[in-house]
Amino acid sequence: MEMLLMAVCLSMFGLAVTAMAFGAATRPDKSSAPAQPELRPAKALAPARFFADHAAPSQSPGMRVPTEVLLAQIENHVRLEQAAAQSFLESPSHAQLHTKTTSALVN
Amino acid sequence: MAPEQPELLKDLGAEDVQQVLAIGTRIALRSGASLFQLGDPAERLFLIERGRIRLTLPMQVRGRQEDVVVEERTAGQTVGWSALIPPHMFTLAATAPLDTELIALPREELRRYFAAHPTVGYQITLNLAVVIGHRLQLFQAMWLREMQRTVEKHSA
Repeated sequence: MEMLLMAVCLSMFGLAVTAMAFGAATRPDKSSAPAQPELRPAKALAPARFFADHAAPSQSPGMRVPTEVLLAQIENHVRLEQAAAQSFLESPSHAQLHTKTTSALVN
Repeated sequence: MAPEQPELLKDLGAEDVQQVLAIGTRIALRSGASLFQLGDPAERLFLIERGRIRLTLPMQVRGRQEDVVVEERTAGQTVGWSALIPPHMFTLAATAPLDTELIALPREELRRYFAAHPTVGYQITLNLAVVIGHRLQLFQAMWLREMQRTVEKHSA
């Protein structure tokens, strides 16, 4: 009987903890409400960042790739593009011309 | 020579092939050696007999000039057709990534031979047109693919 009561108590405790965790996870975050308007200026600034990327290439993600790897990617890209162009020449069609590439350089 | 007839001498009789090849001189390049540089005067046309030739163009990569491979030519193929096309300047650089043997055909000797053997000259010119035409179509398709990507990127 004591064992049964202990098991029931533990189950109730577990259920309570689970319910609290669920409640915390699904509760709307009040602190996020004022953050919504802040997204608008961020979107508005997006074009400026686009041009800034050109002006400051050192901040582009590609800079993280070692130059040797980048050169290998360029070479691989050329090979893939030649193969794609060759396929187009063998069987010219709009679909063949614009097949998607798996090249890491543009993906 | 390569197992098959070189692309430039396709559909020529065996005797004509021998005569044209006799105009040329054999060149051996060690691995890594340069055949010609971009902007060099193009005085000779090359038939690859054995090995491989890498054709590269200079590209600025992170502020440094790097030679980027745009095409590789193998045995039986032709390199350096700028020798027959004005202004007779190489528009790419060519290097041998491995030990390579070529036959170099000087432009002036070829012209004289074509003048004396117009049928051979006509056939070789046709073969050259195939080589050039294929390169043009290939790069046209590659260019259009790049343009398409640029358009998609900027209209997204």
